[in-house]
Amino acid sequence: MRAAINVDHIARIEGHGNVHVVIEDNAVKTVQMEVVEPARLFESMVRGRSFTEVSYISSRICGICSASHTITDLLAIERIFGVQVTDRVNALRELLVYGSYLQNHGTHLFVLAAPDFLGQKSVFPVEQIAPELFDNALALKQLGNELCTAVGGRSIHPITAVVGGFTHEIGPSEYLAFAERMEAMLPFALETVDLFNSFPVPDMQSNGDVLAMYAPDKYAVCDSRIAKFIDADVAFDADDWTDYVEEYKVAHSGALFARVRSTGRPYMTSALARINLSWPLLCKQAKVAAAKAGLRPPERNPFRNNVAQAVELVDALERCIILCRRLAADEFEGASTPAKFEVRAGRGVGYTEAPRGVVLHELELDDDGRVVHASIVTPTSQNVAVIEDDMRQLAELLLAEGADEPAIKLEVEKLVRAYDPCLSCSVH
Amino acid sequence: MGAFSLITDTERRVPRVVVVGLASCFGCQLQITNAEQYLMQILGQIDLQYWQLVTSEDMPDQYDVAIIEGAVTTRESEETCKAVRAKAAHVMAIGACATTAGVTGMAMPGLDGRIAEVYGDGLPDASGEFIAPRPVSAVIPVDSEVRCCPIDPLDFVAMLQRALFGSNRSLDTRTLCSDCKRNETECFYNSGTLCLGLVTRAGCGARCVNLGRPCNGCAGLSPDANLDAARAACDTYGVSRADFDKALEMFNQVNPVLAESGDE
Repeated sequence: MRAAINVDHIARIEGHGNVHVVIEDNAVKTVQMEVVEPARLFESMVRGRSFTEVSYISSRICGICSASHTITDLLAIERIFGVQVTDRVNALRELLVYGSYLQNHGTHLFVLAAPDFLGQKSVFPVEQIAPELFDNALALKQLGNELCTAVGGRSIHPITAVVGGFTHEIGPSEYLAFAERMEAMLPFALETVDLFNSFPVPDMQSNGDVLAMYAPDKYAVCDSRIAKFIDADVAFDADDWTDYVEEYKVAHSGALFARVRSTGRPYMTSALARINLSWPLLCKQAKVAAAKAGLRPPERNPFRNNVAQAVELVDALERCIILCRRLAADEFEGASTPAKFEVRAGRGVGYTEAPRGVVLHELELDDDGRVVHASIVTPTSQNVAVIEDDMRQLAELLLAEGADEPAIKLEVEKLVRAYDPCLSCSVH
Repeated sequence: MGAFSLITDTERRVPRVVVVGLASCFGCQLQITNAEQYLMQILGQIDLQYWQLVTSEDMPDQYDVAIIEGAVTTRESEETCKAVRAKAAHVMAIGACATTAGVTGMAMPGLDGRIAEVYGDGLPDASGEFIAPRPVSAVIPVDSEVRCCPIDPLDFVAMLQRALFGSNRSLDTRTLCSDCKRNETECFYNSGTLCLGLVTRAGCGARCVNLGRPCNGCAGLSPDANLDAARAACDTYGVSRADFDKALEMFNQVNPVLAESGDE
């Protein structure tokens, strides 16, 4: 076969990207994921701005991961100032991050990914062909939005999260109402794992390494500073990220690519990466659902990220139910009102697991708390290199099976979507 | 902003709608999907033809309403806007980036140095031909706007109704302070805290102030804003004028009014 497969502005992903696969003499010649998202230059924008504004600006890197960018920045600033926040503040931050997991995974699985597997161009016809699924999917997404609104003040770009704490908090009865709604949503989340597990996907194993947050006793998303490459078998503190992660520029992408510094290999960061690293620490129902779906480490088929996100929906609901009940019962030590602190100069790196994977914000502040230097690493910028690598492998696999051009094109698009890329994030 | 009504069109067709994204965080497009409970009712009123975020349909040749999110930061985006304007009877700009250049506009001063700072020896080819960030209205006439960062999903629903069916109601130009007075919230200036509500367009209901944070000005400057009076108020309440002007840059960097009224 000789073909040039081109997809301009891949649909149903966040941001603008093109895919080019050139096939000559029945062999894959070149593979490119072009990230054509316009540059916005956030790292230069925050320079000179006060620490009070930084999280508010960098949240605008991404609509859907805005909670993660906000909290990551606050963690970097608090590291510089030496601020210790209360257990209650940590619990609220975790709740906000998990709210964004519900939003992100709900949106990605049902609005962006599911239409491929249901033979549709968008989620809208699903209202006719599977009304119950459609209603439940929107209700789950809405629950995530409402949780983020309750904790952060708005469904995206949180208002209330500031250095040291929160400027506003909802009352106990509202937390309990959320806990009840989340309990009622659990059966549908469990069905979602089964549903995505039932969709056939190509049998392939990514050659990339895997990076995720590590904590010895917890499926951590925002309260560990340690990241771990599974294959390279190195764990590092977020402060030292440049010793372990190498960013590099390529002409066909507005996003910087990334690879493991010690091995030169591309790597994945995602829900699937977290499950590969922390499977034993999933909540009970999530772990049972994962086991039932055959999702256990090592699982390196990138298409299985969809199932991993579904498992994390269950896990997030289980965790949020506990968090909401404990917040209502005032079981976390301390208040949520912002802690007092003194502004001082320094360098600090904030690290959280955004819904799509590792996000790092490195900040240097001067004596007045103004930004001297910023460096931001988003999940998708780390994933683009391994996406290209996987695309090549997938195209070769399908060629060997005798697949035709439209089939290869569709599967390549599905692979890109399985990574849940956020190209607007990646070109910040 | 001319009200227009396709309902009265001789063809009486369901309005064909496209959604186009420029330089943005995609958050305002997400906010449209976040109108979950009304999404199907909205779709029942329109013929959604193109929306890269949500469907894999290709951009059509003909359409009636174009919804644009994001700031114009490349020659390519500029051409997209012009092509859209040539075809759409109604162009709606949504979100701070599209209506004021928003946070994206903060890259404006010293643009070349910023590109070097982030990318070293120049932008990758894929980034397109960079131009100074600007709102959609700086490139083409815009018929309606939904303000704020991000847009409120229900504001969008209301503005779409206006675009589809028309309205004689004039749009708000007041500053945010009037909302706080109605809400009877304590003014941040009483504690010497900077707030941009003095000069920012009302309409959000003072969402941030109600949650304990000062206004960041995401709706953009109100046409009624009196910048000199606001700076004088800063003096009265012990807030730095320089901080006030710096804060205004976040969502108004490319507003010509700011360039004219610079304090220094």
